[in-house]
Amino acid sequence: MSEAVEQREEEQTEEIDLEPANRVIDKFIDMPGNLMPVLQGVQDEYGYIPRIAADLIAERLNVYPSQIYGVLTFYAQFHLKPRGRFIIRVCVGTACHVQGATRIVETFYDKLGIGHAETTPDLRYTFEKVACLGACGMAPLAMVNDATYGSMTVQKVEEIINDYNQRPLKSGK
Amino acid sequence: MVNLTIDNRQVTAPRNATIYEAAKINGIHIPILCHDNKLKPFGACRMCLVEVEQMKGRQIPACTTPVTEGMIVTTSTPDIIKARKLVLELLLLNHPLDCPVCDKGGDCDLQNLSYDYKISSNRFHDQKFQHKIDYNNPLIERDMNRCILCGKCVRICDEIVSFGALTFIGRGIETKIGCEFDEALNCEFCGSCVSVCPVGALLARPFKFKARFWAMEKKRSICGYCGTGCNLTLGVKEGKVLTTVYDENQGFHRGQLCVRGRFGYQFINNEKRLKKPLIRKNGALVECGWDEALQLAASKIRNGSETAAIATPRLTNEEFFLFRKLMKGIGSENFDHAAGYAHKALTSGFARSLGSAASTAMVNDIQKSDMLLVIKTDSYETHPVIGFEINIAVKDKGVKLNIVSDKNGKLGKLPGARTFVHLPGSETLLINALCSSVIKQKLVSSTAASLPDFKEYAKGIEAFSPEKAASLCGISPEEINSLAADFASSKKAMILFPTGVAYPGHDSELATALANLAILAGKVEGEGCGLLCLPEKNNSQGAVDTGFYPTGKGLDALSVFDAIEDGRIKTLFLAGENPVVSYPDEARIKRALEKLDFLVLTTLFPTETAEYADLVLPASSYAEKEGTFTSAGGHVQYFAPVIPKAGDSRTDFEIISSLIKLTGGEAASNPSEIFAEIASTLDGYAGMTYENLGENGAFTAVKTRPALILPQTQAPALRKPEEFSLVTGALLYHNGTLSQFGEGPMHVSPESYAEISRKDASRLGIKENDTITLTSDSGSMQLAARVSLRIPEGVVFIPNHFSANPVNAIWSGKPVTPVALSR
Ligand code: SF4
Ligand code: SF4
Ligand code: SF4
Ligand code: FES
Ligand code: FES
Repeated sequence: MSEAVEQREEEQTEEIDLEPANRVIDKFIDMPGNLMPVLQGVQDEYGYIPRIAADLIAERLNVYPSQIYGVLTFYAQFHLKPRGRFIIRVCVGTACHVQGATRIVETFYDKLGIGHAETTPDLRYTFEKVACLGACGMAPLAMVNDATYGSMTVQKVEEIINDYNQRPLKSGK
Repeated sequence: MVNLTIDNRQVTAPRNATIYEAAKINGIHIPILCHDNKLKPFGACRMCLVEVEQMKGRQIPACTTPVTEGMIVTTSTPDIIKARKLVLELLLLNHPLDCPVCDKGGDCDLQNLSYDYKISSNRFHDQKFQHKIDYNNPLIERDMNRCILCGKCVRICDEIVSFGALTFIGRGIETKIGCEFDEALNCEFCGSCVSVCPVGALLARPFKFKARFWAMEKKRSICGYCGTGCNLTLGVKEGKVLTTVYDENQGFHRGQLCVRGRFGYQFINNEKRLKKPLIRKNGALVECGWDEALQLAASKIRNGSETAAIATPRLTNEEFFLFRKLMKGIGSENFDHAAGYAHKALTSGFARSLGSAASTAMVNDIQKSDMLLVIKTDSYETHPVIGFEINIAVKDKGVKLNIVSDKNGKLGKLPGARTFVHLPGSETLLINALCSSVIKQKLVSSTAASLPDFKEYAKGIEAFSPEKAASLCGISPEEINSLAADFASSKKAMILFPTGVAYPGHDSELATALANLAILAGKVEGEGCGLLCLPEKNNSQGAVDTGFYPTGKGLDALSVFDAIEDGRIKTLFLAGENPVVSYPDEARIKRALEKLDFLVLTTLFPTETAEYADLVLPASSYAEKEGTFTSAGGHVQYFAPVIPKAGDSRTDFEIISSLIKLTGGEAASNPSEIFAEIASTLDGYAGMTYENLGENGAFTAVKTRPALILPQTQAPALRKPEEFSLVTGALLYHNGTLSQFGEGPMHVSPESYAEISRKDASRLGIKENDTITLTSDSGSMQLAARVSLRIPEGVVFIPNHFSANPVNAIWSGKPVTPVALSR
């Protein structure tokens, strides 16, 4: 493990178990071109790429930490901050926009107390505006994880939040 | 060769050349922005667009397209000019136009090209970038608003420096250059990225607002720090050195420098420089005139048998040669340099094993070899630009790298590199074991087998079989055998090892052991083969070549201190040396200096040693004088003064010459006269003159006469289980004690520390920066702890550069000093 990793481990206020990251790295260690699969695997484990895991990957795969950061910021699929248990996406594509997506977005902001690409402190919700989700017929459209909610209204925003507030935080994984 | 037509001219170019290179070779200029001769083609900026008839007149980048037979290229048409103008307009769209206050002004590719292509207005409009400027480190300012994303900084830091500090962050219009997690730059500070940045996005902070580029004279010189011998271009204005200027065509290293060369020039104009001679009167040093000073010095050294001299290996060849004359003239054989032991690998080890006190390989063999055996990863720290050569050899030329070291280090991260971490102080033993293994595995070259001393040597070396040596050096017999086989069976192989005051274990015995290994494997000479000793200082090799060390009954540097204590030596002449800080056992050095009747010192700065002097003579720096230095691998290079002498300082050449005259000898008139004498007396320098050395210098001729000699090998002293093995060494940021006055190095590496392993730290409950106490037989000291994974358990590493809290308070000068460590 690198100096940087160990140092950071000490600074880390919240304990991050590196065991899952090490497992992912073990699996791909001998494969050429393993950086992407390792990063994806690690993100699957933690829901995002913790800084300390990035350092660990840099050390074990012998790539520069800067290079890893370059990859992480180039691909939208990677997240550098912890993500909520429920990812709420509201479409702001043309069709949805015309059907009043802005109000839906603002209502979510209001009720959740967070903005675009932000996560609630309890890690329950992450909110994102997205471009056309390809279901313009159901505009305005929202999604929570894989569930789709069409013809959104302010009323429905509240219902969705009430519903998801009841659900358990742990994914049971 | 390939034949092609560029701009209606029939030209030829090498088979693998790009259009850009083919044009350049033939004197045809194609504008570039993202391309750099030292870096792999990138093809990002589109500035170098040309038209190729065979490609239906399409515009293609010249910097990435290889030439083909019969190709017809046009480098400038109205369409191409239009395209280039567009490139520039788009770049200028977001680029701030703050040229009046940009240090890059006059030396900026974007500015110059905009001028060439007359971009006086822009058809487009957009907002300027709003990136925060990175002022978080003292040496490099990063203003990403000015960045044109050519990627040169990212690539040089990866391809040549192998540090990889920088990357492209994000994508699209948001893209910028930065470090991991957008943190502040914290790297080697070699400044390579600053050198290649075509715009003012990366700037040297010490040079901010010092001078416009065109207002400076650019003068060639040689770096005055380590034995790599890098060439420098100094930016000079009004008699002051203001910066180093990048010249990609300079030296074997093509303008690459390390942090010391790049940012350490400020010692030259440092305010602390001594300007007048100082004489001790009533206990205090007071200014005096040169006449009085020289008269006094001459009268004191006149009694040669009671006089000794010790010089820094930073003097010129001419000064050493003259100094030797002075000493011989007054009847003293007691003259030496480099603590008396740092040169022994050459003067005693190589001399007896190879027939001359010189390396058999040169720096440019590194990239031509098949395998490098590097002793101590510290080679990267002691000689960083040679480290770059190793990086390039391994990454671009596929050269194998094996490292034998008492700790891990950066070189070990290169692809395929193997590091064999041995117990401290067991390097000679381990090399013996490798030799023994080469014999056992029947890999001995026929030349070695036919040497008269082979049989006797082979018998003696049996005592060091891998099985016997394994436990003493901490490396398994299998690993020893595999490394030995790897070295001996490579077609070309080369050994590199640093020497210096901080590496007492790199002595004559280690040098002989290494020479044996090369002899046995038949790798003493030839392209890509041989031994390359990396001496600590800029002219360590020259000090050896000019014979400034004792032979016969003369005293070596450390014996001089014994002789002072028992009254045999009464007068000491120190030229540039600062033994109070850099020589082992501070207490003993101070005791001896106090006992002296007379201490005369030539020095740039009022050092710790000056406090003991009766006479302090202000010396001139290399930037103020003329002469030659001989660097690693016997590279002799001439340099001329670039600025006038500081204050009333005089060169050591002038001082020594005056003393020769005052003690009844014949004074020398100028360095070139003495160099002529060197060339006519020293075989290796035969035929050299200042004129024919020119800008590229010349290499000393080395005659080899290999002999197999069993080195005297001591098993490393066993430490008590609760003790630590103290090893000293050099830091990347420093060289000797001089770099402390270089400002740049002190910004990034200001103070000493004690580096211990992670495991020991947690066992003893020590955290980073905790104050720890270290005690040895010679003394005790306190230092801040640094916790790292580089260091093996039971080892503590302390650098040897720092005058404040110097390591010689506890360091014995043995390869390994046992120390007790507590919180
Ligand atoms: S100064 Fe050297 S190590 Fe630092 S980023 Fe620039 S090239 Fe890399
Ligand atoms: S900082 Fe300079 S060298 Fe690096 S990408 Fe930007 S313009 Fe190019
Ligand atoms: S200190 Fe050594 S490696 Fe660095 S620039 Fe000077 S000569 Fe080159
Ligand atoms: S615009 Fe919202 S789904 Fe297409
Ligand atoms: S110089 Fe050729 S694309 Fe930049």
